[in-house]
Amino acid sequence: MNQLRGIKKKETLNFVIQFLAFIALLSQFSCTYNTSKEKNKPIILASKGKIDSLDPAQASKLLAIQLISALGDTLYRINSDGSLEPRLAKEKPQVSKDGLTILIPLREDVLFHDNTPFNAKAMAFSIERFINIGTLNYIINDRIKSIETPEEFLLKIKLEKPSSSINGLLTSINLTPVSPIYYSQYKGKFINETLIGTGPYKLINYSPERQSLVPFDNYWDEKPANSGINYISFNTSASLFNAIKTSQVDILLSNSIEDGHRLSLHRSSQKGDLIEAEGPAMQIGYIAFNTKAKTLKPTIIRQALLHSFDRELISEQVSYGLREPLRALIPPIIQVNNVPQWPKYDPKTAKKFFKEAGLCNNNKLTLILTFRSNVPADKLLALTWKEQVKRDLSDCLEIALNGVESTTVYKQLSDGIYEAVILGWTGDYPDPYAYLSPLLDCKEIVIDLCKEGEAVFGGTFWANKDIQKSLEKSESLLGNKRLEELRKIETIAADGASLLPIWILKPRVWVQKDISQPEFDGSGRLRLDMIRKKHE
Amino acid sequence: MNRSKALLHYSLTRLALAPIMLWLISTLVFFLLRIAPGDPVDAILGNRADFAAREALRSKLGLDSPLIHQYFSYLKGLVHADLGLSLNNQESVSQIIAKTLPASLELGITAIIVAAIIGISVGLTGVAKPEGKTDLAGRLFGIGTYALPPFWAAMLIQILFAVILGWLPVGGRFPPVLETPKGSGFLIIDSIVSGNINALFGTFRHLLLPASTLGILLSGIFSRSLRINLEKVLNTNYIQAARSRGITEKNVIINHALPNALLPLLTIAGLTISSLIGGALLIEVTFSWPGIALQLQEAISQRDYTMVQGIVVVISSLVVLISLLIDLLIAFIDPRINY
Repeated sequence: MNQLRGIKKKETLNFVIQFLAFIALLSQFSCTYNTSKEKNKPIILASKGKIDSLDPAQASKLLAIQLISALGDTLYRINSDGSLEPRLAKEKPQVSKDGLTILIPLREDVLFHDNTPFNAKAMAFSIERFINIGTLNYIINDRIKSIETPEEFLLKIKLEKPSSSINGLLTSINLTPVSPIYYSQYKGKFINETLIGTGPYKLINYSPERQSLVPFDNYWDEKPANSGINYISFNTSASLFNAIKTSQVDILLSNSIEDGHRLSLHRSSQKGDLIEAEGPAMQIGYIAFNTKAKTLKPTIIRQALLHSFDRELISEQVSYGLREPLRALIPPIIQVNNVPQWPKYDPKTAKKFFKEAGLCNNNKLTLILTFRSNVPADKLLALTWKEQVKRDLSDCLEIALNGVESTTVYKQLSDGIYEAVILGWTGDYPDPYAYLSPLLDCKEIVIDLCKEGEAVFGGTFWANKDIQKSLEKSESLLGNKRLEELRKIETIAADGASLLPIWILKPRVWVQKDISQPEFDGSGRLRLDMIRKKHE
Repeated sequence: MNRSKALLHYSLTRLALAPIMLWLISTLVFFLLRIAPGDPVDAILGNRADFAAREALRSKLGLDSPLIHQYFSYLKGLVHADLGLSLNNQESVSQIIAKTLPASLELGITAIIVAAIIGISVGLTGVAKPEGKTDLAGRLFGIGTYALPPFWAAMLIQILFAVILGWLPVGGRFPPVLETPKGSGFLIIDSIVSGNINALFGTFRHLLLPASTLGILLSGIFSRSLRINLEKVLNTNYIQAARSRGITEKNVIINHALPNALLPLLTIAGLTISSLIGGALLIEVTFSWPGIALQLQEAISQRDYTMVQGIVVVISSLVVLISLLIDLLIAFIDPRINY
């Protein structure tokens, strides 16, 4: 019996020793595996979501746009102060007096990653390719009549009508030039897995979850400050958060990270455990009111709703104040003026308007607020507004919530089935027109209802002839006159109350302490080429 | 009909029925996707493009033709093993599946191995001393792992081993600092073939957490099933005869009872691996594992019809194939089974 017990003890001891040895081995693996602390190792950048395509003609997701901006250059770039900086163009565009011709002199010392030269023909090829096959080619919207190459390094763009916003469009990542030699082999097709551009980096490895970028030796401008970027994707906000906290990645860049994690990382950076930087806000959040809906048809009710929304409280409750309240449709970096056009939170005025509309005192308005169920912040926003209304205006207004997946929401917006819906918008290029036109434009107006146009696809169905006139006029104006016209549009839109701007979301990045302070350009893209390790 | 002929007849019947089953499934998926709210054009363009742009993209994607034309064109492609192009990025669906399927298979097979090792060990330990403390603990383990919500268990394991202890990576399939070995897509095999020891360690380290989590969660089914089967087998006459001949209990269990008790486990393993190919979604999401389940989830959310159809057809084919192989294997091992 004792002998048997002795054998059992020995077996247990053996098991414990083997288990401990396994654990020790495991911890040794983790010691040998350290991301990029060694010299000349690439910087590891993590974000949420896969990159399905690196083709500029296909790019629409923020993450793809970020990487394409490292692999390619555009004609112009918006600086952090909002000014237009020539990149592949030698100088600012020269616009003819009638506003119908744009001349762009190009740099002569630029090579593509396949070492073929960049010239006007290559630029024309890339723009035409985008017009022909680009997923978002509607942003050009029949504005370009023809593209000519009178000289090897001179591009001539003829427009259908004058367009002041074309300058912003020329900074669009969709117009990143690609090597004609390489891309003409695949006529009419997207090239998802590579990008032969002119950027500071070239791609050496691609899969939707991982990309490796190394500096391009023949780059025409200043070489990147690091030895390369390795991009990896994570699927959840928690994984991203854990990866940066445990130093498994060097940089975390994501707009999709949850607000709780965002706050925790913000606090870590305040304590000095991480470095945080924020870029210019380009993404706005807003509520679209369906002006065709019976309950929301009277403008005064929509005006009352605008006054009933406490942006400061909601921003604090939902994002801990990290999403800035917004009372305009255009983000501040490209603001036409600094005076917000939309009304402030004012429950007294809201109540007054509701009463004028025959509501309150046992006659409550029930507003069905739809939120995108796959966007956590939308749900929190809806819940918070509901409770805030219960606190402030319970005798006049009641909010009923309706969660629907975003793809379904987009599909059904133009059917007019949602009374009020929370949406987000990022302009395709940094110009006020890229915000005002997609939210307010209408091709066919009957009184104040839009029958065909962006307002239908945006779910508001609200239109105004003066806005249409101003939008068109603004395209033929420059400087302050243009800004005045755009300001007029915002004022009319605020009076119409078909949209309720909520907040703006700034792109944020967190990096490890041994990495330099990151910087964004004026379009909200992280300058990957400027990031360096402090010890290198 | 002798046994081998019956087996051949059975296999041919199953194989002949497979295309009918696949046709039914693919037809169902085709029409269900079209009924579901949402539209790939909206998923790609969001809520901003105008009518003309939407219609242009719809036409480019072939979504403007009548539904019945789309259906026959899809079936025609399927007959020629052409799964079409992804609506989202115009890449071949077959190519995308070829990239993601090995990741899911690698995870699934490793998880089954982990589950089998843990499950069999727990089951055997319990049976050695029925109703004892170890048996009770094993049974609790079986029920507990079966009942654990996968996402919760995965997050807990991730926090413990990747965040608190920092021993293993938070997610992904391969270290970002290394170059992925090319080949079959099964990174363990590719690393071994290329002789890249760093790549092998890297792959192993990334595989360890998701595979162990999945394996532990599945081990409950194995341990419980093995225990029940062993208990039955241990009460049979031939085991009593073996005991009466003075063979030790350990020998009786391992050499006489276990082989017969393992047969039902083979069926469970087969069914589990089939379901894991598409069903390990929560594990793939939590550990950012680029497998086919994750691809399917993304395709559904983007209303990428061709991608969803392609993945469902491939998964269904694999389920049919694996079930058939398991049946044949069991028939081969167990001479009592007749078809």
